[in-house]
Amino acid sequence: MVVSTPPACFHCGGPVPRDSPCAVRVAGVSRPVCCSGCEAAVHLVLAQGLERYYEFRSGSGALPPRPGRDWSSFDREASLRRFTHLRTDGERELSLQVDGLHCAACGWLIENSLRRLSGISAVHVSAGTGRAELRYQPGRVALSRVLERIDALGFQPHPLSFSSSGPDGAAERRDALKRLAVAGFGMMEVMTYSVALYAGAMQGIAPDIEQLLRFVSLVVATPVALYSARPFYDGAWRALRARTLGMDVPVALSIGSAYLWSVVAVLRGSGAVYFDSVVMFTFFLGLGRFAEMTLRHRAGLQQDAFARMLPDSVLRIVGEGAERVLPEELVAGDRVRVLAGERIAADGEVLTGATEVDESLLTGESAPQVRGPHDALIAGSLNLSGVVEMRVLRVGQDSTLAAISRLLEHARASRPRFVALSDRAASWFIGAVLVFAAAVGLHWLHTDPARAFPCVLAVLVVTCPCALSLAAPAALASATTRLARAGLLVTGGRALERLARADRIVFDKTGTLTRGRPRLQSVRALSARADPERCRAIAAALERHSEHPLARAFALIAPAPGLRQVQLAVGRGLAGELDGVRYRLGRSDFVHEFCHDAAASRLPGMERGRSDCVEILLGDEQGPLAQFLLSDSLREDAPDTLAALGMLGVTPVIASGDVPGIVTLVARRLGVREAHAALRPADKVALVRTLQAAGHGVAMVGDGINDAPVLAAADVSIAIGSGTELAKVSAELILPGEALAPLIDGVETARRMRRIIRQNLAWAILYNATAVPIAAAGWLSPWMAAAGMSLSSLLVVINAMRLLGDGATRTPSLGLGAAPVQAARA
Amino acid sequence: MKILFLLIPLGLSLFSFALWAFFWAVRRGQFDDLEAPAVQILLDDDRRPTRDERGGPDA
Repeated sequence: MVVSTPPACFHCGGPVPRDSPCAVRVAGVSRPVCCSGCEAAVHLVLAQGLERYYEFRSGSGALPPRPGRDWSSFDREASLRRFTHLRTDGERELSLQVDGLHCAACGWLIENSLRRLSGISAVHVSAGTGRAELRYQPGRVALSRVLERIDALGFQPHPLSFSSSGPDGAAERRDALKRLAVAGFGMMEVMTYSVALYAGAMQGIAPDIEQLLRFVSLVVATPVALYSARPFYDGAWRALRARTLGMDVPVALSIGSAYLWSVVAVLRGSGAVYFDSVVMFTFFLGLGRFAEMTLRHRAGLQQDAFARMLPDSVLRIVGEGAERVLPEELVAGDRVRVLAGERIAADGEVLTGATEVDESLLTGESAPQVRGPHDALIAGSLNLSGVVEMRVLRVGQDSTLAAISRLLEHARASRPRFVALSDRAASWFIGAVLVFAAAVGLHWLHTDPARAFPCVLAVLVVTCPCALSLAAPAALASATTRLARAGLLVTGGRALERLARADRIVFDKTGTLTRGRPRLQSVRALSARADPERCRAIAAALERHSEHPLARAFALIAPAPGLRQVQLAVGRGLAGELDGVRYRLGRSDFVHEFCHDAAASRLPGMERGRSDCVEILLGDEQGPLAQFLLSDSLREDAPDTLAALGMLGVTPVIASGDVPGIVTLVARRLGVREAHAALRPADKVALVRTLQAAGHGVAMVGDGINDAPVLAAADVSIAIGSGTELAKVSAELILPGEALAPLIDGVETARRMRRIIRQNLAWAILYNATAVPIAAAGWLSPWMAAAGMSLSSLLVVINAMRLLGDGATRTPSLGLGAAPVQAARA
Repeated sequence: MKILFLLIPLGLSLFSFALWAFFWAVRRGQFDDLEAPAVQILLDDDRRPTRDERGGPDA
């Protein structure tokens, strides 16, 4: 019995159980919602008169809210000191990172909903970065109340430490915009004067007018050369100090020397001026850098992702009582009570109680682990079922989480040879250009010293002109734009070049090839007394009380009402009473021991547990009633995507931390020949290194924290959007949705981009090869060089624009006529 | 062509003014979010002015 494609929840866009009792009336139309949390969120939105949110948002909605979260620890003095800043007028301000925020309408909803609270002085939400800036009056509203409101709307607020929030890219962006504007305006002005000067050079011009035009060009080009081009000088200086030759070195050299030479020429009243080259060069290069920076910011990368793996607060046991404190306040030796559903704040050991923990993000092990007294607990893992008291052993930098973080840093620092190779090639090329320019200069110094500098400069400008430096960035910008439309975000500049080269693609299994969520595969009645539908409802009612990952498989089923006296047996199951009958749900031994009739309970119709499935039984005191088989389902498009990638010559490989049986099964179903199971993060890194050593270009697709180091080690790293922040931080490509299929477009586009870059480079080199000797010989007059440079750049840009083509041009649809919800989710 | 001695400085002052205006706009955060405002004009409901509508920097 497989649940057919259910309707989408009106609020969160998730699937709605067939017989969900929850529904809302919006504008007179009844809409399905998936759970009471979403129902409450919709009511909250409606009660505030903000229902137009649903009309204008794009794509699916917010996250399903988790009710009942305790935000009160944010009202503690220590929290306020850490997250907020007390202004002189008595108000406090803070920054939040908001998860689930994906369009401008979501930002509008949060802004307007918060403004309806009294005591909020200012709120601004930026949908692009997912940041909210907030100012409030502490006397009139508590911080916890504000966070609670955002939570209730279906978004996850994460207050950012006031010190660490620092520059969030807005400052960098403003700075770059200003520099770009100066270069852009300057280019328009200077080109106007230059055209007049070139015309004058051909047709004759009055000397005073010529002097005026040259002087005005100098005035306008000065801020461009000194202010707009500043990042290039800085970059060149950094490269030189690191004893390398980056692209910035010849750029800085040409801009700087062309400008200085032209200034001298203007002041002396004779000689060619190159202000047009200076401004155009600066503007086009600046534009490329700006586009790259925008992409980087848009990915909304969070550097403090590790900190967010820890809970916002912990329950510290002090004497007889307990208090909510921040994880930072913990020291080794503290006793902490961890409730079901909470994350564990520090490494430690269990003192009393028993529970199951989900360590999948840290170890890749997908099955929950049972932990009793004296067992170790890892910071960042999730407590699933029981309440335990633990003793803190290691905090902060000593914890396992911090160790993984250091592993990540290390892997990132030693990125493999391909980058180094292209950097070295660039260094060689640049070195050759500089040597050639110097040789030309020496030659002319001997023959005709007056013409030495113009010729050297001509060589520098011509060898490193817009065409050559635009060849790659223009193609890259087109490719990234196209891929963003197709559903693949590019954050690293060089990632696409390496993706074009990749011939192995390594997939993590859980959460990448599979959804990372168990699904109910089948229900089988084990007794004549049992009705499968009724059993499903009873099981769903019981599982509502569990945080266990398996419980999520039942979230789509409407629970039977009236369940009482629910008890949790750690690692085994749940028990409860409904209409006077006591039920048990869980592992088969747990259910069997309940009915004291283990021998008779194995009925012939019962399917033996399959290796890829987890078996759960429901029983009452007379015997087992039903068997549920759960398994983590593959993403729908995984088989097709992997087959298509194989056709493109990119061989898929599976590297999973999961047990071999399941991995083999998934590999067989997907037709993947090479699959590795039971790998720890370090093993995955080793696997990628082995593939690289065999000469393969390796792309890695992953989602979990445990994938972060291997993502950093691969040639190209791809994170899937439903994964953790941290994986995204270390990835260069991000699949923001649930689909894998954009990878195919990614590989194809990357290869087309490589082809176009090669064409562009070929053209640029052809142009240079013909122009350099002419320039070196001193036959190139300024207007010829400028015209040639502009034409050649134009050609390169137009060629790159071809990458944008044949993809449907779709502007983000937020228009009035747009379908209200669930526009695009295949 | 002597008019150029007047026109070009005039052009330059326009140029400086445009730059100043742009810098001012950037400083005021006008370019920080280029997506939300386009939608906000459609969203802002005129039905119910609420208390505390003193607004944020973008209001």
